[in-house]
Amino acid sequence: MTAPLLQLSGLGIRFGGIVALDGVDLTVAPSTITCIIGPNGAGKSTLFNLITGIYRPTSGTVALQGEDITGLPAHRIATRGIARTFQSSRLFEDLSILDNVIIGMHGRTRTGVLTALLRPKASRRELGACAKQAETILRGISDELHARRYEPAGILPQADRRRLEIARALASRPRLILLDEPSSGMDDRDTAALMADIRRVMADNPGLSFLIIEHDMRLVAELPDSVVVIDYGRKIAEGAFAEVRRLPRVQQAYLGQKAVEHA
Amino acid sequence: MSTTTLTHVQSRAALPAGLTVAATEIGGAALLGAFLLAEATPMVLALLALMGGLFAALQLRPLIEEEILRAFHEARGLATVLAVTIVLIYPFFLGGNTYALHLLIVSLLYSVLALALNFQLGSANIPNFATGATYGIGAYTSALLAIHLGWSFWATLPAAAIVATVFGFLLGIPSMRTRDSYLALVTIAFGIVIHQMLNNLSWTGGPNGLVGIPAPSLLGHSFMQPIELFGFRLPSQANFYYLSAALLGLAILSAKRLHESRVGLAWNAIRADELAAKCQGINVVWYKILAFGVDAFLAAFAGTIYAFYISYISPDNFTFLVSVTIMTMVIVGGMDNTLGVILGAFLLTMLPEKLRVFSDYRLLFVSVVVILFLILRPKGLFPQRQRHYGGQ
Repeated sequence: MTAPLLQLSGLGIRFGGIVALDGVDLTVAPSTITCIIGPNGAGKSTLFNLITGIYRPTSGTVALQGEDITGLPAHRIATRGIARTFQSSRLFEDLSILDNVIIGMHGRTRTGVLTALLRPKASRRELGACAKQAETILRGISDELHARRYEPAGILPQADRRRLEIARALASRPRLILLDEPSSGMDDRDTAALMADIRRVMADNPGLSFLIIEHDMRLVAELPDSVVVIDYGRKIAEGAFAEVRRLPRVQQAYLGQKAVEHA
Repeated sequence: MSTTTLTHVQSRAALPAGLTVAATEIGGAALLGAFLLAEATPMVLALLALMGGLFAALQLRPLIEEEILRAFHEARGLATVLAVTIVLIYPFFLGGNTYALHLLIVSLLYSVLALALNFQLGSANIPNFATGATYGIGAYTSALLAIHLGWSFWATLPAAAIVATVFGFLLGIPSMRTRDSYLALVTIAFGIVIHQMLNNLSWTGGPNGLVGIPAPSLLGHSFMQPIELFGFRLPSQANFYYLSAALLGLAILSAKRLHESRVGLAWNAIRADELAAKCQGINVVWYKILAFGVDAFLAAFAGTIYAFYISYISPDNFTFLVSVTIMTMVIVGGMDNTLGVILGAFLLTMLPEKLRVFSDYRLLFVSVVVILFLILRPKGLFPQRQRHYGGQ
């Protein structure tokens, strides 16, 4: 059997005396959707920051397709094929929608300062090709985004900001996309559209997997192949949502000891 | 069918586009000339009011700007040829006024410095207060090489650029451990250290500076000599005018090429959101250090020309105030917009000179004018524009 897409073993980080994440093991197979759930402050976003290299883990390893990427700087991990979105979307606000997507291709383009200065044709050709690809990606995500591609990203409403973030993530041709609470600030209709977007992107990109932090239980119930529950920095459960939700320790984490006893 | 419509539309628009371009360029050059040659205070103030009015019009009627930009895009070839022609024949219209030529040269050199800083401040939002220092390093390197080793001007140009770039990287590396205000502090400290060293080292001439930098020559023509052409006689400053104009041309070309490349986009991404930029695979540390290097490289060219033009340099030419002035030029002109930055540099170089009648209150008056312009155009005279691809 080939190596899994992403494998976390005993991953942990401590900030001073506080253990934010402790001994997390997780395996993500290609072409799957995994949801990470857990109460606020459980360490879900910290886990994303460890995987993407924003924090360096104090223990454990991260492996992408069998290659150890633990502790690599964020830009290298991005280039290796892990793209992400942020809890509060972080677009390049003053740049155009199209430029936002093109910047997503930074890791797989090559023009350096000397090429840009001395071989402007090659440089322009590369960026022109990127612009074409970016337009295709945008059109695939939303016709409206495509039509507004020369407008600054900062003026977009919340749902479109998420879409653009996903488009930007796709631009790097990643093997794994991490979405941090993609449905926050969305109504039911937007969330349904988001799920449709994710399914379509999966269908268009064979092998691509998603790891999603989510609070919206409707999405968690419908979308993922498996669900991972994190509480107090530890993984407390893993499996299909229907099974995980019935586990007493999961109910306890969400509702508290007393509520579970009274249930 | 659609092709014929397209050509029809283009041919119909071609003439007005050419006319708009010609009118804008010639009008701009005439306005600059009038301002350069104006000596009476009422005239200077009237010209300033005219410029203010033009910018107010642009602010109130954005369509005018769009129209001009469209025209320039359509008639790109004409715009370039005409601009180069205007630059070439410009000294002939100044009637041998050496003071106007001098102002023009200093404005051109400051434009280069402002464009150099724009790679950092405008493109990547790195507040570098040490452009004056790298400018000085360039000037001193070339002056020392010329005086002590007898190097020619043309040989010192690349040497000074390399030395300054090394210093730029040296400043960039420790700066990467800090950001925002702290980064600004590191660069201020660097500028002061350089200034103090120039002031206190014996081999830099101390506070007296370096004197007797030999004039450059090209193909046997010394830059001390006036240019005589077709029976016209241009003062010797014209040599340096053409040299500075060529350097500015190089700076504009570099700025354009970098801006329209993956490098410029990466800098813009860092400016907008450093963390998000990292997660797109951008090596933020490298790109920031690179911006320091590019800034120093261009600033050193300007420094070298300045040293050979004035033939005397002292530490006081490269103070913290110089860095602040360059920074103001970028902000007033418009971040990350080449034309804006150049305009800012011209305006801020010429204003203090033209307002000499106000003597002690001169700088106060300059500040008032700068604030007025920023009220008229809050994002700078010409703010950054979105990139377009594929000839759109």
